[in-house]
Amino acid sequence: MPDSAIRRLLEFDHQVQRDRDQSAAFLHRRDRRFALESREKGLSPGPELWLEHIRRLRTPQPTDDPLRQWRHLTTGFALVGLVTGVMAMLGLLFYDGGQRINLTVILAFVLLQCLLAAITTVQAFAGWQPWRWLLRKFSLTGSSGALRPLQPMLMARAAHAGGLMFGLAGLLTLLVLVVIQDLAFGWSTTLDTGSDSYYRLLATLATPWQNLWPAAVPDRDLVDATRFFRSDDRGNADPALWGRWWPFVAMVWVTYVILPRLLLLALAVVHPGLRARRELASHPGMIALQYRMETPALDTGNRHNDAGDQPDTSTSGQLHSLPAGQVLIRWAGAGEPELPDALSAGYRDILAAGGNASLEDDHRIIRQAGQVIAATPNPAVLVVTRSWEPPTGELADFLGEARKAWPATTLIALVPLAAEPDQPPPEHQVSQWLRFADRSGDSQIVVSTPDLASQEARIHRALQHEHRQ
Amino acid sequence: MTTPVFAVVGHPNKGKSSVVATLSQNDAIAIALEPGTTRQRQEYPLTVDGKTLYTLVDTPGFQRPRRVLEWLEAHSISASDRSETVKAFIIQHRDDGGFTDECELLTPLTEGAGIIYVVDGSVPYSAQHEAEMTILRWTGRPSLALINSIGEDDYSDTWAQALGQFFQVVRKFDAVSAPFEQHLSLLRAFGQLEPDWERPLEQATDFLLAQRRQRRTEAAAKIAHTLEEMMSFREKRTLTTLQTSDMSDEELARQLRTSWYHNQRKREQNLRIAIEKLYEHHRVERQEAELEWHSEHDLFSEDSRKAWGVNRRYLATAGFGAGAVGGAGVDALTLGHSLGAGALVGGLIGAAGSYFYGDRLTLPVLNTGVLTNGLRTAVFGPVQDSQFGYVVLGRAINHWWHISHRNHAGRELLDLAPADNHWLEHLDRANRQVIHRALERCRKQRVLDDKTRFALAAAIEQAMSAYDDWRLNRT
Repeated sequence: MPDSAIRRLLEFDHQVQRDRDQSAAFLHRRDRRFALESREKGLSPGPELWLEHIRRLRTPQPTDDPLRQWRHLTTGFALVGLVTGVMAMLGLLFYDGGQRINLTVILAFVLLQCLLAAITTVQAFAGWQPWRWLLRKFSLTGSSGALRPLQPMLMARAAHAGGLMFGLAGLLTLLVLVVIQDLAFGWSTTLDTGSDSYYRLLATLATPWQNLWPAAVPDRDLVDATRFFRSDDRGNADPALWGRWWPFVAMVWVTYVILPRLLLLALAVVHPGLRARRELASHPGMIALQYRMETPALDTGNRHNDAGDQPDTSTSGQLHSLPAGQVLIRWAGAGEPELPDALSAGYRDILAAGGNASLEDDHRIIRQAGQVIAATPNPAVLVVTRSWEPPTGELADFLGEARKAWPATTLIALVPLAAEPDQPPPEHQVSQWLRFADRSGDSQIVVSTPDLASQEARIHRALQHEHRQ
Repeated sequence: MTTPVFAVVGHPNKGKSSVVATLSQNDAIAIALEPGTTRQRQEYPLTVDGKTLYTLVDTPGFQRPRRVLEWLEAHSISASDRSETVKAFIIQHRDDGGFTDECELLTPLTEGAGIIYVVDGSVPYSAQHEAEMTILRWTGRPSLALINSIGEDDYSDTWAQALGQFFQVVRKFDAVSAPFEQHLSLLRAFGQLEPDWERPLEQATDFLLAQRRQRRTEAAAKIAHTLEEMMSFREKRTLTTLQTSDMSDEELARQLRTSWYHNQRKREQNLRIAIEKLYEHHRVERQEAELEWHSEHDLFSEDSRKAWGVNRRYLATAGFGAGAVGGAGVDALTLGHSLGAGALVGGLIGAAGSYFYGDRLTLPVLNTGVLTNGLRTAVFGPVQDSQFGYVVLGRAINHWWHISHRNHAGRELLDLAPADNHWLEHLDRANRQVIHRALERCRKQRVLDDKTRFALAAAIEQAMSAYDDWRLNRT
């Protein structure tokens, strides 16, 4: 298929457009996998294989030939060429029996054809598009961006096809007219040219076929004899000589109208394919595809998604006012080296548990505190913690054991302290303690924060202390 | 060669998941200021072509380290049986609800994982972590400690001293703000824990670096594509005679303008989402005032124009170069006989055009075509102002910069503050001209060919580097 390279380019471009909205990661995985599989089979992963791979995985769809419109355009040009070829030859060979058909006009027309053919090819190579309006009319310009650089070549192909049909129709018309009409050719020019130079011109033109068909090469006598002049409207040569020109005319037409068109059409058929290959190789999508095929696909393991499983951080728990406790326990080094003033006075015992202490120490502390609060009517224990250290299972275990050992009416107040002991802990840290107290399901476990700033609180604590004494 | 596995372990709520989120580029890992957010271990393998180079394992925090240690000590005779004893602990307690978290975090270690112990360097060191660290030492696995700072204070020195007694390597790593180079350096540090791990981790860092470079190139191509679309976008409407008579020109202009603005904003929004997806940020929330007409940071606001637009001198110099390129074509046609006059004249025309024209119009105008076959076409756009292109470009690169520097542990709002100084001055002249020429072509409704598109994307990539440098020097 002469157009396979163009179709491949268009299909590739189409696929790249389709991939535009896909994520880069997906495309990379897809193409890298294809490249690895191809290499495993010993194949070099090129665009053709890739398209085949994509095609195979796609749901089959009725395919519309993207070059159909161009084919129509080329057919149109060929038809127009056919009609105009007949018309042009009829015009050139118009002979009413009264005058000669001037060879010079025919030669000039042939030269024009050569020139047009050459311009078409030059335009295709240079990429000019003087007939863009025509493409717009056929709505061919907007079909695909990838086709845009190929348009001059495709247009040249259509034009050459038209030109070839023009030439063939002209030749056929000439032969038909030779058969059915008595054509009288001659030559004439207003310019001061002798038959010698005219003969030389014709002989040069006839060089390509002088051995193939000698009868189609004019001889000097014929040239001499068939010149006609303004003054001599009937001609004075042997009437048979006027008709001997037709093989020459036919060969001029074949060699200088049909053959160049045929060769240039062949070139115009090959050229877009070559250009399409080049376009495909430099297509931005191809560069990206090659990168994806050559570069290993990296997966950072980020598919796991548990963002929706966030714990409920709202809490209905409220801070309680600091109870008048009998025992204060520093949990896991909280309040070290020094407790804030608001907490440092008024307790019978200040004990330390958790953290670096052993579990045996914890049991001992629970027993010791139990003895202190056993005789108290309103037992209350403060457990001072570091507000930033999250409550762990160890603290829950400690409170659980204490709850069993201490009187059921004991109020346990968790007191989270900030890193700066004279500052209140930040709200988000307090709330984790409130949720911890909530989760314990024990109404006797509450969270309190000391009023660190108020002078009254300190006096209150001092009075409590005095009262206990 | 063994595939390295690293278990990220530590006290509850110290940023283990943040470290994993950043290193695995996953912004969908639950990170909450709540102990016990992670209840089960979760593996995050880094694979290349399906082959795993290393695996990070996020684990729950220690809940009862002293009880675990007490059990271990009670069941061990000498140092040589410690790792066996840890295994025995897991076997003994895997169905025990009280030690679920410990079993989850210790299991990967008994299966050969390295230890990444995470602490919060913004709170004071406390000896209560020693039980945890002792248990980890009992596993006998290669270990590294990370000081991750969650808050503002810095106690990392005391932490480093204490951790140095228990772990082979101690590093500071802020999961939320550490630059990408630090991620790589951290991975290399993991490789130093065990000779066998060095090679896969070297490979992993190379791949991650290449991935980052490629993402930048892809982001530049996306920005170039959107810039081209936005600069040449036209809002079109075909009206019948009846519709034309029913609606005044002002009303028609208003409707088309509104729709044009809406579509332009949508394009900008789509670009942002695409860039965020490219960098695996799927949950970014923006603080930028959302696209209200003439709000402070809107695409079309005067503030945005002031912040991201370029000055006239810049326009003139970029315009000169862009014009000179066109003029050089004349010189080429005359085979150099014009002695460069074409380039000079082209340059001057370009400079003058950009100087006077580029700064003239802010908004596009309505064009209505003549009435043919009872139909009339009204067109709004394309924008006739090069500055608009620079505003779009500046905003896009600013957004890209924030996204590409954002760690996946970062859950704060994305604050896209406008620039306070012109960053494009840091871009070299040739690339400025490429950008300017492309903007001018789009403005004039001329389609960009693939070569120009390529050049534009490459120039934008350079502009991204210039912006990066500018941000670096600014802060």
